[in-house]
Amino acid sequence: MRFITMDVKKCVVCRNCEYACAFRQSGNFRREDSNIRVEYHNDVKICLPQTCLHCEDAWCLEICPAAAIVKDEDTGAIEIVSERCIGCKMCMLACPFGNIHFDKINMVSRKCNLCKGDPNCVAHCISGALQYTTVQDSCLNNREIFHRFIESILDINTE
Amino acid sequence: MKIVIIGNSAAGLSGLEAFRKQDQNSSVTVITCEETTPYSRVMLPYYLREKVSYKDMFIRDDHYYERLNAKCIKGKVVNLLVKERHVVLENGQIISYDKLLIATGSSPIRPPINGLEGEGIHHLWTLDDVRRLAPAFLRGKRVAVLGSGFVSLQGAWAALVKGLDVAVIEIMDRIMPRALDARGAELLALKIREKGADLRVGTFTKEVTRTGFGEYVLHFDDGSTLVVDLIIVGTGVRPNIDFLKNSDIVVQQGIVVNERMETSLPGIYAAGDVAMVPSFLDGRPVVHALWPTAIETGTVAGNCMASQGDVYLGSLNMNVTQMFDVTVASMGEFLDGADREVWVDERLAENQYLKIVLKEGVPIGAVAVGESELVATLGMLRPLIRQKIRINGTPRNLKAIMAQNISRHHKAFSG
Amino acid sequence: MCDNRCGINVFVENGSIVEITGLKEHKWNNGRLCVKGRLGVDLVNAPDRILTPLKRTESGWQEIGLEQAYDEIAEKIKTIQSRWGERAMSVWKGEALGFLTQEALYRRFIHAVGSPNYFSNDSGCYVGRWMGYAIVTGDWATQDFLYSKCAIIWASNPPYSQPNLTQSIFKGREKDGKLIVIDVRLSAIARQADEFVQILPGTDGALALGIARQLIEDDTIDHSFIDNHSVGFIEYSLYVREFTPERVEKETGVAAARVVSLAREIGGRRPKVSIYAGNGLEQHENGINNIRAIACLDGLLGNFDHQGGNFNAEKPKFRDLTLYSEKPLRHLGPIGADKYPVLYDVRQECHTMTAMDTLLTEKPYPLKGMILAGANPVLTNPNSGKVVKALKALDLFVVRDLFMTETAELADYVLPAATFLENSEFHCHPIHQTISLSKKIVSFQGCDTEFIFLKKLAEKLGKGEYFPWKDAEELNRWMLQGTGIKYEEVLAHPEGLEYAPRRYQKYKEEGLPTKSRKFEFVSEYLRDCGYSYLPEYIAPAYVRSPNPEYPFVMVTGARKVFYTHGRNRNFKRCITAIPHAEIEIHPSDAETLGIGTGDMVTVTSVVGSINIPVKVVGNSEILPGVTQVTHGWRESNINLIIPDDRNDPVDGFPLMKAVEVKIEPMVKHETENE
Ligand SMILES: Cc1cc2nc3c(=O)[nH]c(=O)nc-3n(C[C@H](O)[C@H](O)[C@H](O)COP(=O)(O)OP(=O)(O)OC[C@H]3O[C@@H](n4cnc5c(N)ncnc54)[C@H](O)[C@@H]3O)c2cc1C
Ligand code: SF4
Ligand code: SF4
Repeated sequence: MRFITMDVKKCVVCRNCEYACAFRQSGNFRREDSNIRVEYHNDVKICLPQTCLHCEDAWCLEICPAAAIVKDEDTGAIEIVSERCIGCKMCMLACPFGNIHFDKINMVSRKCNLCKGDPNCVAHCISGALQYTTVQDSCLNNREIFHRFIESILDINTE
Repeated sequence: MKIVIIGNSAAGLSGLEAFRKQDQNSSVTVITCEETTPYSRVMLPYYLREKVSYKDMFIRDDHYYERLNAKCIKGKVVNLLVKERHVVLENGQIISYDKLLIATGSSPIRPPINGLEGEGIHHLWTLDDVRRLAPAFLRGKRVAVLGSGFVSLQGAWAALVKGLDVAVIEIMDRIMPRALDARGAELLALKIREKGADLRVGTFTKEVTRTGFGEYVLHFDDGSTLVVDLIIVGTGVRPNIDFLKNSDIVVQQGIVVNERMETSLPGIYAAGDVAMVPSFLDGRPVVHALWPTAIETGTVAGNCMASQGDVYLGSLNMNVTQMFDVTVASMGEFLDGADREVWVDERLAENQYLKIVLKEGVPIGAVAVGESELVATLGMLRPLIRQKIRINGTPRNLKAIMAQNISRHHKAFSG
Repeated sequence: MCDNRCGINVFVENGSIVEITGLKEHKWNNGRLCVKGRLGVDLVNAPDRILTPLKRTESGWQEIGLEQAYDEIAEKIKTIQSRWGERAMSVWKGEALGFLTQEALYRRFIHAVGSPNYFSNDSGCYVGRWMGYAIVTGDWATQDFLYSKCAIIWASNPPYSQPNLTQSIFKGREKDGKLIVIDVRLSAIARQADEFVQILPGTDGALALGIARQLIEDDTIDHSFIDNHSVGFIEYSLYVREFTPERVEKETGVAAARVVSLAREIGGRRPKVSIYAGNGLEQHENGINNIRAIACLDGLLGNFDHQGGNFNAEKPKFRDLTLYSEKPLRHLGPIGADKYPVLYDVRQECHTMTAMDTLLTEKPYPLKGMILAGANPVLTNPNSGKVVKALKALDLFVVRDLFMTETAELADYVLPAATFLENSEFHCHPIHQTISLSKKIVSFQGCDTEFIFLKKLAEKLGKGEYFPWKDAEELNRWMLQGTGIKYEEVLAHPEGLEYAPRRYQKYKEEGLPTKSRKFEFVSEYLRDCGYSYLPEYIAPAYVRSPNPEYPFVMVTGARKVFYTHGRNRNFKRCITAIPHAEIEIHPSDAETLGIGTGDMVTVTSVVGSINIPVKVVGNSEILPGVTQVTHGWRESNINLIIPDDRNDPVDGFPLMKAVEVKIEPMVKHETENE
């Protein structure tokens, strides 16, 4: 499956992706409308783009009590069906990456849906940090990777 | 192998789905005493306030069981014959199993208050409850909500949204003791009152009487009274285990299970609200009675019934809702304590509240009241709690630490 | 939407442009666009676009017909020229309406009508760097980032100003490359730098000379290049000896040890070192020499025209549209050419700041008419107050634009113009040595392209013979004559047609494009003009003689994601995201001043004061004592307080990037009855 990879060695936090996504969602450049968020963490010097990883066994999908989160069979995208969403925010709490945001106008949660296979954020990423790619099979299971990486940082103190 | 699952809600369905992922051959029978296709209890208050339609409450389609190659039987289980491996239904039907998952959830209890009966007394727990309640939920009607847990308050919020006169009666001296700390409760209480509900804490209802017009009169211990048209009772629940009275299965506040969701009886599993599962933080058995826990435990049970692979890391309570125009969320151990370090984010605006509780540098819980983005922060904190990751420096760096974590995660993908 | 000219796909529905996406095959942007790119849709369809000519009358703007407007303008030009002389007319080319051909056409037109007075924004941006490099290497090479082992971004923020260049910088770095960013501010690109060197504004020359000294001391220099292809190395090396790491530290604020390690890093990666000199280097009193000092590093490193270095691309050999050889008018005294001869000789640019004086004083001769196309000097030239006064003094001021800009408001005639999507023009990407031809996608009644406008006007002025082509296609075909490139072939390659294979180190056979055919560490030409022979370092005024009354040094002009200079402020969604100007201040300065983000302050220079909201930036984002303001805002127009008389003596560039100011919390005016 293809999903959006985010290269923290390339992102410059120019926010073109945020604006591009916000525009796709609402026709405006309001950052809150964007499903991708980028932040520069000055104290640790990290440029961090964050958007949904479309997890295998997505936590958000499993937990949604309204069955409002579904997997698109074509793109593999984990999507929120906003007509079904009750805005309980359980998915926001479930996502370990903070990739779900709240749409205060419609009172529903929102997240990346891969723009039906042609993500607008990637098309506007001018540094090449965002790529819409197929990741090697061994990496396919995000949850697995997540646990491995958590293990590797178990002692943050050594940093 | 014959699998029987009692209950087709959060825990039962997750159990079924997890089981089917691993085992496509065994026969599976799901038994439920509710008439409809599976629906979501969590959505009931949202339906009451017309956020969702009636049909949207159903979370599985008509072909669901077919697709999963499972049989669904409507009927109430009244007995369990452990030796025979039989489940007995109310209509006398007997269903035999090799492995059994009990996912019967819980039911509300009615407190022993004189006069708390009649057609105006409601619960907010099942679809039936709501079908009965919805027609009475009319603008201008007066409603008293007994109890101030998550469910009660959502009922109160729905009533406010629909234009009812709402009073919330809580016997303790603050609201939501199980889901919020004192400060969080205070902030929420402020919001509740601001939205126009009459919130009375530390108030004990001695008895309920009726007037000739059919109204209910609540008599409080301080001598005051309150006249309402209907009462929603949300003062506590108990596990649905009546049918186990003839078995010697170990039950405390719920059916006690181990980390594989197995009960004291081999081959019999339990999950969801009915089960008493090890808590993540201290391993002690608890009943969290929450949707996420039901999903998690149901999944573990399903997996373990299929193979023995999965173990449950323990229930980590997490709770979030949007009501009274504010987001309320909590997770893990969020109360202050002698051996705990507490960090409150002071940079937030006045009506925003984020508190993180740590023990020996490891985060163990959090509360948030305010903007929705706080929930995402709690979400990112959860893996740190789950993985018992020490926070270096002060929790002020939390965002940076989470950023570091996630950036490492990205690196794993970007190569 | 900017000078990067990314390849795009334009989607049209029922005759209107509805979507713009990146062209996947285009080598520059590889299918990606910044959000500005898509704003093209909004630009063409903007509801506030000017579609009818407007004439200033006593009672305000009057809509008039296009023919009538052109006739009246032609008549007025004739009157001005017969009364005040042909040189009393001028043109001013901006960036908002077209690209290279547009520039050449305006140069052609003004010479055709007998005046040398061609002005443009380039003399305040870009040309300074071009000249600095041209003096040393004969041209300004492009950076071969894709093959570079060391990319140096000096005083530039490509993610905002040349967005898709960022891709190639990082692609190059992937293979063990290094990214060094030298800047006053922690810019977007600096966030990713392996080495971020934070420097005091205007002191870059000292750092370049210091690096040079260290390279020579470490003997990490390219002797063969120096021996065979350069002049002046001895004098230069003697001069740079003064720039010890300690001195550099004192001048620039960059630690001595850092200077050494930086030079070692760069020296160790030579010759695959690409240096991009940004706009932050010009707009200083000693800008040209600072740029020369940086350009000289190419001579030491041997990276000039080297793979992975600074690649001196061949240009397509279009036929020349300008008339400088056919009809030179130097003798008519182009405005500013006496004061800034190098600017005119090397770039044939007249000096816009001098023009303002000329307008107000009629010295050295009256300048009475101006056609200004797609520029907004009221927001982009220094000392805006004076600009307004000066432009008002014109007898005839014609502005061609898409929108009613602050400058257009001063015009006698405002003429509707066409966007780049309504024109067919050549585009060249030197780094790939490709050209392409953009297509005319739509057109609007009454919105002539610059070519058609100039052609019609020239005809009315009896100079039609200079514009014999009937349309853009004929013009484009004419330009291609002699290049050996077929028009149809260019059309068939929207992603860019390679006009010549890339060749490196061409100087080995052909010499460098300088006068001496060598790399000029020193410039005899400049000495002959009375300027310094060496890339001499002169500390900026705020360092040399600090004025305690103006304790802050202010940098201006850092770009924002979707604003190109004064443009795009009329798009609502841009304003939603970045609603107003702000002055960036270090947290410690903010504390001293007792101000926070969002507070209003009054910023004062010797020229004047403006009020502007504050943005307190992160600790490392700017140095204490330094502030930054982005230009191009109608409210809080920073150029109101930028001096127009402190120009670089060589290229005449105004000082915009190291202006001494004071900052005070804004005093709220008391209400009247108090
Ligand atoms: C109104 C309301 C709002 C809620 N909101 C939230 C919330 O916001 N967040 C949150 O985390 N949790 C919430 N909860 C709690 C959550 O819904 C429960 O934790 C969850 O439903 C538990 O799932 P379960 O499968 O264990 O049991 P249940 O959902 O209670 O399902 C029990 C199933 O067993 C069947 N059953 C029971 N007894 C028998 C029997 N004898 N024979 C046959 N079948 C039987 C029932 O028909 C049913 O299908 C809410 C609950 C309610 C009622
Ligand atoms: S859990 Fe988060 S990252 Fe994973 S699919 Fe859901 S939203 Fe995306
Ligand atoms: S907020 Fe919407 S999508 Fe998220 S869990 Fe709740 S209902 Fe599902």
